[in-house]
Amino acid sequence: MLISNKIDELSKVAIFLEELGISWGMPDYLTANLNLVIEEALSNTILYGYDDADNHSIEIILTKSDGQISITIKDDGLEFDPTKKRDPDTTLSAEERPVGGLGIFLIKQLMDNVQYLREEKINYLILTKNITL
Amino acid sequence: MNTTLVKSGEYSVIIVEGRVDTTNAGEFEKAVMDVVESGTDKIILDCTGLNYISSSGLRIFLIVHKRMLAKKGCLKLCSLQPGIKEIFDISGFSTIFSIFPDQQTAESD
Repeated sequence: MLISNKIDELSKVAIFLEELGISWGMPDYLTANLNLVIEEALSNTILYGYDDADNHSIEIILTKSDGQISITIKDDGLEFDPTKKRDPDTTLSAEERPVGGLGIFLIKQLMDNVQYLREEKINYLILTKNITL
Repeated sequence: MNTTLVKSGEYSVIIVEGRVDTTNAGEFEKAVMDVVESGTDKIILDCTGLNYISSSGLRIFLIVHKRMLAKKGCLKLCSLQPGIKEIFDISGFSTIFSIFPDQQTAESD
């Protein structure tokens, strides 16, 4: 699916995933987790990925093969490799915990593989999850 | 996302329903902070109907928690669905929040 770089577009993604979850026979928790990782990736791109006010397209490709779901997110935003971001310390107390910084960590925790590529000014984020449906 | 405020004994119970995500986290923050700043120092967030949360929503939970700690108030969560509990576990939030199986247990603790 294609969306533009606006936060409201995330609602469209949620509806799309719900329909896909039904047609692929995914349990609700899996649909929610896939929705979550896609939202985290897209919100980073939409909020921080552009240094202009232009309209940009972001492509989300979901494929299912034997035992695996793969998500590829393609955008023409600024170069950003989320795999290099340091994980938050989840053992800190409430007072010590900084607010934010959980999005990429959730992606890494919920998916089995996270890969980033930059080719010809395009960011590719490839996320895979092993499944048994 | 929808929030409803109910008074139960000495507690202000905020019932959260639906999704808390990047599109509505600001709205959620305002709804909860209005209760926090209204003078009540005992709040339960009833998450029975909360079926989706992203990092934008978790962020608001932590902001509210920090505010309640600063006020020396009491914040409890109850009735988290298993999928939501998993996200809290991964984030390390299960250890920093007081989480109860249901509203009654939260009130009597």
